[in-house]
Amino acid sequence: MNTSTTSRRSGTTRRQFLAGTGALGALGLSLPALLAACGGGDSGGADSLFFENWPLYIDPTEGATLGTVDRFMEATGVKMTYTEAYNDNNEYFAKIQPLLGAGKSIEPDVIAPTFWLAGRLLALGWLEKLPLDKIPNAVNLEPSMQNPTWDPTGEYSLPWQAGMAGVAYNIDVTGRELKSVEDLFDPAFKGKIGMLTEMRDTIGLIMLGLGKDPSTVTSFDDAAGAFDKLDKAKSDGQIRAFTGNDYTDDLVSGNFAACVGWSGDVLQLQKDSPHVRFVIPEEGGTSWADVMVVPKGAKNTDAVAKWMNFVYDPAQAAQLSAYVQYVSPVKGVQEELAKIDPDLAANPLMFPDETTSARLRSWATLTEEVEAEFDAAFSRITGA
Amino acid sequence: MNTTLLVPARQRVGRNADRVGLGALIVASTCLVALGAGWVGGAFRPVVVLVLVAVVVGLLVLVAIGGPQARRLLAPYGLLQPGILWLALFFLAPVWSLLRISLSTKPSRFSVDYTFSWAFENYTTAFRDFGKQFEHAFVYAAVATVLTVLIGYPLAYVIAFRGGKYKNILLGLVVIPFFTSYLIRTIAWSTILADRGPTVAILHNVGLVRLFEVLHIMNNGQLLNTPAAVIGGLTYNFLPFMLLPIYVSLEKIDTNLVNAANDLYSSSVRAFRKIVLPLSIPGVFAGTLLTFIPAAGDFVNAQFLGSPNTTMIGNSIQDQFLKQNNYPVASAMAAVLMVSIASLVLIYTRLFGTGDLA
Amino acid sequence: MRKRSKIARWALNIYAGMGMFYLFVPILFIVAFSFNKPRGNYNIVWQSFTFDNWLSPFSERSLTAALWVSLRIGAVSTIVSTILGSLIAIALSRYKFRGSEGINLFLVLPLTTPEIVLGSSLATLFLGQNFINFGFVTIVIAHIMFQVSFVALTVRARIRGFDWTLEQAAQDLGASPWRTFWRVTFPLILPGILAAGLLAFALSIDDFIITFFNAGSTVTFPLQIYGAARVRIPPQINVLASMILFASVAILLVGTISGARRQASMLGSRNTK
Repeated sequence: MNTSTTSRRSGTTRRQFLAGTGALGALGLSLPALLAACGGGDSGGADSLFFENWPLYIDPTEGATLGTVDRFMEATGVKMTYTEAYNDNNEYFAKIQPLLGAGKSIEPDVIAPTFWLAGRLLALGWLEKLPLDKIPNAVNLEPSMQNPTWDPTGEYSLPWQAGMAGVAYNIDVTGRELKSVEDLFDPAFKGKIGMLTEMRDTIGLIMLGLGKDPSTVTSFDDAAGAFDKLDKAKSDGQIRAFTGNDYTDDLVSGNFAACVGWSGDVLQLQKDSPHVRFVIPEEGGTSWADVMVVPKGAKNTDAVAKWMNFVYDPAQAAQLSAYVQYVSPVKGVQEELAKIDPDLAANPLMFPDETTSARLRSWATLTEEVEAEFDAAFSRITGA
Repeated sequence: MNTTLLVPARQRVGRNADRVGLGALIVASTCLVALGAGWVGGAFRPVVVLVLVAVVVGLLVLVAIGGPQARRLLAPYGLLQPGILWLALFFLAPVWSLLRISLSTKPSRFSVDYTFSWAFENYTTAFRDFGKQFEHAFVYAAVATVLTVLIGYPLAYVIAFRGGKYKNILLGLVVIPFFTSYLIRTIAWSTILADRGPTVAILHNVGLVRLFEVLHIMNNGQLLNTPAAVIGGLTYNFLPFMLLPIYVSLEKIDTNLVNAANDLYSSSVRAFRKIVLPLSIPGVFAGTLLTFIPAAGDFVNAQFLGSPNTTMIGNSIQDQFLKQNNYPVASAMAAVLMVSIASLVLIYTRLFGTGDLA
Repeated sequence: MRKRSKIARWALNIYAGMGMFYLFVPILFIVAFSFNKPRGNYNIVWQSFTFDNWLSPFSERSLTAALWVSLRIGAVSTIVSTILGSLIAIALSRYKFRGSEGINLFLVLPLTTPEIVLGSSLATLFLGQNFINFGFVTIVIAHIMFQVSFVALTVRARIRGFDWTLEQAAQDLGASPWRTFWRVTFPLILPGILAAGLLAFALSIDDFIITFFNAGSTVTFPLQIYGAARVRIPPQINVLASMILFASVAILLVGTISGARRQASMLGSRNTK
């Protein structure tokens, strides 16, 4: 065991070997560089494209029916990487902030943040202008979605899908139809109510329930009542969980009696779970859009143009809509969809008529300080 | 002439080579921590890099010219060097930069720069806004640790002393569940405990719901999204960290000793208390640390099995760090968690320590 | 008296059996649901039995890609950490040297630090520099970081009783140091190193918390499950999890059997002496 007992002669060379191995320690220092060389991303090149999107937000290839990504690759020859690692606006922003903030580029060429985050990215100067001259189909953008307040020239974004937040409920559990925001605070549903971690949808709906309009918010005081109401409901045990997209799971399985939910999700669910319902509350609902933007420093702008042009073709967009069942931003989709699925084409949650649209409110753009107040207050309540 | 001068020098270096080796290891580690944690800025960085390179090269030179004794004394440091330097750069330096950021402020909300300013208000915020979460973390982890002992010890005991030739298979069986992904296991529990899931149905049929409500295991007729579910998840997920060390310490005990004790004390309960229990305490000790530490920092169980009223400090750190971009406060919370766990470990080791974790 | 102790004995056995059952509840659930034919996105309500999922285990493209990423990360990090950790273990058990106690303590530190602290602090390190972006490399670095201690301590524990004078014997018989190491030392400590490597690999494959903080756009298997859990749990997750489970069991069985055989043959050779 003790080194001093080993003989000198035999010890020497062996130690040389061990010492030599130890010298490999110096090598260890250059390992990260080595790893960096072999672990690099696969973007780059004129005909490749990387789109990072929300999960379940595109039609997949199923058997012989090609999904949008495969149809696009077949039609254009662009090699496309499509990932679904976009799970949450705040989370994604936190992920890209250190890179874009330091003037570095991120891997994806296209991402689809919700409109308010796109507005923030634009204000921070972290977006590239879209190559609109190479996207002729951009004229198909629904007029109501053109030039939103947070992108007044419309040069930086094209909507991917739009939709609305309202009250989703499981009628097996509630035992009655719901129609008001106030139903979420019904003591009968104690511990069976879900709220979204997406602050604007949760607070927006509660504000509407209190008779406030989220489209005219300018300061925290405008929404303070909604925050108080939410905080009280949480402390009372009314709220079971704050969730992202996973509210659908709790809703279908009956853990939630009711929750704040998104229109397209519930439509998708109804196919297999008819007991799940969605309603735009009588006090009104919020509307939102997830928009395609190109982060600063993205290289494959030609491929980006091809992609956006492709998905703004009404025939392609209709196939996408048939799967995701949100509100399509592309004109002419309703006609195309009618050929595939007439029922969907007649659904007011996918193609809202004027009375429906009139009941929807879109959030005002918050200044940086006000938004910080909102976010801090919200994260104190969710406690996460 | 040179050689005659060199020989005594070489012997002197040779005799003290271990000091040189240890010194080099410490200097090189310090250099890496300094580089990684940003102690030095601008023009000094190349200097530190140079020192680092010089140390490594110097060591190699020493090995080459130092003679057999030096080489022998240097060998362990050579072997340690790569691993320890890795830990210096990717464990020590990060902890340092965490502490630094916890005392820094951001110039603006979405800025990526931090100004170190002894900003202790981050710690005030951490305690003020997230005191509940600290409390949950430590209470839930402590209860879960006790439960793992209550479940793990008897199981380890039965396998070790009554397993016979099936001992290894039984032990394998215990470990097998943990070859499935941690997240999948936790998600599976959320389904098992769901309101319309099998567990609640069984409890209804057996009529235990009332009792569980009284015991605060169930709340409002639900099992999922309660403190009990979070604690149950923690218990389940960290059970092997308790069971295996206990098993190892039990297995070392000579069965003859137990038999003799059985004869001696006539009651097997007394024999257990006098012989087996004391000898297995090191296992329980190691298991307690291996269970409590990860449980206190966990956020997965609270996220999938808990409610907004059961969030643990891990959830808060994760949220502040990965969603709110509030690195200073997130770092402050992480630092508090680290320091409090380190102190608990220290106190615990002093009180019951066996000095042997591995 | 006798009878009472017999009852107590059985009570303990039954209690332990219940503990064992508790361990397997979610596992049985996971494996069973890999044969489910779910309606809708969440594979959580039993509908009907099918082999379809097992016939198309890799049909979920992103899931399979994530598994592949995890395997690659696991392989690279395990190789590096096993080498680094084993060298430390050899140094600690082979030599008595100045500072070894300090090193011992230092090695335990990462294990007594909660994962969330390791993950977030490493992220602050990467945030503060300009060389590497979050992704494959940072995950590998992070995994090696927490694996090294595990490997070092496991290997050290396994070779604690190793008779280092064997080396000297070999060299006295004229073997060169290289030869001695590869022919005598290495084969004898190899089982310990392999066991540690296996453990390190398992830790890497299943790591979620540390990876979560350092992944950037790279998606590992646990991260994919975490993401999927928010929108959809396809039965393929259960299939792949079951496959990993069965593969681990197979490795475990082979290990146990060959271990038992080696033990038997070692005992045999000792007896003939």
